[in-house]
Amino acid sequence: MLPIIQVLGLPFLACILMSSILGYLGTHVLKREVIFIDIALAQIAAVGSIAAHIAFKAHGDSALVYGCSLGCVLIAAAFYAFVRSRIIQISLEAVIGISYAIAAAAALFLVGIAPGGHMHIQHILSGSLLWAGWKQIITSLAVFSVIGVCFYLIRKPIAEISNDYQKDTAKDLRAVFWDFIFYVLLGVVITLSVQVGGIVVVFAFLIIPAIISATLTSRLGPQITIIWTSAILASLAGLLFAYYLDFSIGPVIALFLGIELVIVSIAVKLSHKSSAL
Amino acid sequence: MTSEIVRFFSVQIALIAVVLILHTYIGLHIIRRTLIFSDLVLDQLAAFGAMAGIALGVEYGTFSSYLSSMVAVLLGALLLALIKPKSRAIPREAVIGIMYAMALVASLLLGDKLCGGGAYVTKTLAGSMLWVTWPLVSVTAVVYILILIFHFMFRRKFIDLAEKPDSVKSEKFWDFLLFVTQGIITVLIVPIAGVLLAYAFLMIPAAIAAMFTKKWAPAVVIGWSIGFIACLIGLCSSYYFNLPYGPSLVLSLGVFFIAAIIIRCLFPHNSSVSVKGAQ
Repeated sequence: MLPIIQVLGLPFLACILMSSILGYLGTHVLKREVIFIDIALAQIAAVGSIAAHIAFKAHGDSALVYGCSLGCVLIAAAFYAFVRSRIIQISLEAVIGISYAIAAAAALFLVGIAPGGHMHIQHILSGSLLWAGWKQIITSLAVFSVIGVCFYLIRKPIAEISNDYQKDTAKDLRAVFWDFIFYVLLGVVITLSVQVGGIVVVFAFLIIPAIISATLTSRLGPQITIIWTSAILASLAGLLFAYYLDFSIGPVIALFLGIELVIVSIAVKLSHKSSAL
Repeated sequence: MTSEIVRFFSVQIALIAVVLILHTYIGLHIIRRTLIFSDLVLDQLAAFGAMAGIALGVEYGTFSSYLSSMVAVLLGALLLALIKPKSRAIPREAVIGIMYAMALVASLLLGDKLCGGGAYVTKTLAGSMLWVTWPLVSVTAVVYILILIFHFMFRRKFIDLAEKPDSVKSEKFWDFLLFVTQGIITVLIVPIAGVLLAYAFLMIPAAIAAMFTKKWAPAVVIGWSIGFIACLIGLCSSYYFNLPYGPSLVLSLGVFFIAAIIIRCLFPHNSSVSVKGAQ
């Protein structure tokens, strides 16, 4: 029993930390219909860190690397917030999707110029959840708590904007400002989580629990409970599965979240059918 | 030496010119209906199919490897057409995004168990367009032209699907056909261009065009011309400055996209008239 806790204890803590804040953000992302935002921001942050490696010869997790990532995320956040009300005939999701392609190309471009970067791409995708250390856990805890408090304080304007995101009303600077704040905080959370878990698991934590909760209820309180329960269950199942059958942890957790979603949607469909009869 | 360069460029340019027509048109559908993730789903499934083929002992890039990609993609197209959330709270894009995540998960997990699997994940991402040959171009061109004819014949159905989906009978069937054609071009182009460039071909020219016109035919013309110019610039700079091939093309397309957004920000609405006038 003990070796399991030794190996999986910290990754499990990391999962709980990530999923608690990502799950809440997921409800907003879903309402805004900007599903691509996670992959795009993670990719943009990665461009920042690769650029820092190449330009300043900065090491793994030095402050300079984080600074460059954050700088890139700030630019992207300002871009999304500003552009939303100004693009016509295409959705913000399309713009975000394309910004992902551009960022990914920029990353491959930089890697192509400076060899030895292929490992980086593989790493961004599947992450290194198994090697989560106390340092990462404590940093995440501190940063996520601060951001969580921020989100609690600004929950009203953010919810207001998210609820009618598809309407064309928000052309004033106030909405642009709150949007900017939202995307910056989201960007920081995603950047930090991707460092720990990899894109796949972060994306899964962000979107899948939010959808599971949206199929079951539309009230925020129960939604959050459902989100956290499903995330914790999937993390536990995923960690044990990966441990015993020797797979990468991140993808397996995402897989279990997917399985949960399939089960829940089938159950909801069946219950609708039986109530209709 | 000069003939070598001429040959190299003519093959590349011919392929890009053919590929861009259909990609711009299908991309317009994808952009207007906000199904952005669908392309990544199909790309990833094509890659997964090829990897599954390798696991079964099929060599990468052979006919059987194409076949296993095709099977995976057809399955994906079926799921894309069938799974459609009824609740307004769940956007379709979210469901497609999860399908992408699952396809990626499947590839990564397969890569875990495959000898040297990690290399294939990167390989399918970057592609190998530099090794394009004439036979490959001709096969691709023939298939593309067949699909173009098909789409031209049934254009009303597909356009209705984007503009007024309620009026289309057997909506799921036409959705399936749209995703199948998208899947076929994906299977053909991903081994050559890689996931990223294929995705950029599909999305960027169409997005630029969609910002400037609502009509379909002018949009394809605008998208194709801008995309072609951008690709030429990318191709030349990649050749002369010895830059990575695929990323250079995507970045060049990206520059045009950002320029289009800046134009749109500076001239919010009135310019749409003048663009139509310029047609």
